[in-house]
Amino acid sequence: MDEAKVPVFEGGIDYTGAKLGMWLFILSELLLFGGMFILYAAHRYKTPADFHNASAELDVILGTLNTILLLTSSLSVAVSITAIQKGDRRLSMVLLMVTMALGLVFLVNKGIEWTTKIGHGIYPNSPTLLARPKGEILFFGLYYVMTGLHGLHVLVGVCVLCVMLILIAKDKISPMHFTSLENSGLYWHLVDIIWIFLYPLFYLIT
Amino acid sequence: MESGEEHPSKYSTYVFVWMGLVCLTALTYTVAVRIHPGGWAILVALAIAGTKSGLVLNYFMHLKSEKPLIFKVIIPLVMAVFLVFVLLTFSDVAFRGVVE
Repeated sequence: MDEAKVPVFEGGIDYTGAKLGMWLFILSELLLFGGMFILYAAHRYKTPADFHNASAELDVILGTLNTILLLTSSLSVAVSITAIQKGDRRLSMVLLMVTMALGLVFLVNKGIEWTTKIGHGIYPNSPTLLARPKGEILFFGLYYVMTGLHGLHVLVGVCVLCVMLILIAKDKISPMHFTSLENSGLYWHLVDIIWIFLYPLFYLIT
Repeated sequence: MESGEEHPSKYSTYVFVWMGLVCLTALTYTVAVRIHPGGWAILVALAIAGTKSGLVLNYFMHLKSEKPLIFKVIIPLVMAVFLVFVLLTFSDVAFRGVVE
């Protein structure tokens, strides 16, 4: 056997394996949210009018603004990874900070939205909500669970990116070793994709 | 041994993809708020969301340029599993008697 054909793993790092592992995790996350999307679809199919009425109460402008924020944060994290590949450490770090800031503004907007709704007496099991038609109770239940779980993912994403920022500062992530940053980026894009579906399904029911 | 990624994407590619994503967001908003295509609205919204996801997956998440075959089949495979769940759920919901 030709010895040159035996694969050598430099430093024991398997880049494809690391990325594939991240993808498997991302796909399991997609199925987690997928289950909730099926629940949403089944209830909306049963009570379309209630879903329409309840959706009209959500703040479309704030929802659209949050969509733009997340799309822009996806751009900044993608460029940040390319920057580290090209050896521009400073640009990479600045863009990671921009990404984290956009994620935090997203969460602040979400907080404002939830607080307003709760102020109007609309929260799971509230007397005001329970007095409403069945479909509206389900809509707001799904709204709180799905946007809540998504918000939790945004928060985790910000924390992960913060760790990456520290790793770049300590030179643990470099133009030669950036798989952890790339995987964090994949996670951040996943959060973006989930929001891409949440936005029309909750805010834009005509 | 190859390094992690031999071909960093261009900054301009990302900016173009981002512009596309913002335009599609404006489109889905306009379709929902200004035009009322009735029962087609949900299909249009999902088609636009699907297109946006495709852009994110292929360009931001580099699925387009991944070499190993596993990356090409992994998403369709999971979508197929998801579709089975959807069909099973809806065959139940659609044909179940009304329970009040």
